[in-house]
Amino acid sequence: MKASDVAVLIPAACKEVLNAMYFTDVLAETPQEDTHEGVPSIVQSYAFALKFSGDVSGRFGLCLEHGTARRLAANFLGEDETDIAEGDVIEVVGELTNMFCGSAVSQIESGTKFVLSHPQPVQQLPAASSEDLIFVGMETDSGPITTWVVVDKAGAHREN
Amino acid sequence: MAFNILVVDDSPAMRRVVKRVIEICGVDTGKLLEAGDGLQALKVLRSEWVDLVMTDINMPEMDGEQLVMEIREDSMLESIPVLVISTDQSEGRMKQMLALGANGYISKPFQPATLSGELYRLLGGAPNESF
Repeated sequence: MKASDVAVLIPAACKEVLNAMYFTDVLAETPQEDTHEGVPSIVQSYAFALKFSGDVSGRFGLCLEHGTARRLAANFLGEDETDIAEGDVIEVVGELTNMFCGSAVSQIESGTKFVLSHPQPVQQLPAASSEDLIFVGMETDSGPITTWVVVDKAGAHREN
Repeated sequence: MAFNILVVDDSPAMRRVVKRVIEICGVDTGKLLEAGDGLQALKVLRSEWVDLVMTDINMPEMDGEQLVMEIREDSMLESIPVLVISTDQSEGRMKQMLALGANGYISKPFQPATLSGELYRLLGGAPNESF
């Protein structure tokens, strides 16, 4: 399976998560890209990534600007944006990463279990080199969100 | 009758959301307890009366699978209902957790009404229509 095969599952998965638990609508999706030229600067953003393993293994991440993260956190926690501590915003972004990935990976094969690592903050976006990498972006009514997925090459996870 | 409910998840944010849904749905709660993983949950269970455990699966130290098995193998805890709340939407995982002894399974993301319905099913009573 390629990253593009997983990437096509991401928009619907993200929409489901955002609607159900973050009370946010997806307004538009951007085409899949293998570079991050269109992604907002990570300096003003929160970025998280995790590893998934199962029938397909790889990494999933997301990046969103501080303002977007705060609005989503307010919706998720049911609190006012100004009352939420930054630590809480960061935790919510981590949980968002977890739910986005879980929802997408669950669609790969309904009968197969998978394991997600704990989401961790990252300082830079993955670079398209020899990896099978796809970026998927979306515009929501809380702000833009960028996700990415890397699929391990066949057999790579067995070497780890 | 007030119910003591234990929420087990390594995400503090998710624990807050689950606790908020519990409070809003009108279940008569006594203590809303928390734990960050299965090991912490067992410590709580062995020191507090708990009427329902709500647990994630992927957690450090001890995951939800092991926690359910430990609860079912402990004569003092075996009758406590367990509701699993997980990002894994696969049928295989759900069947596995129910076979291990979980009494219900909700996948994330979930609608608050879904969680409320399961709470009332496992604790008894009619769901609040707030949702």
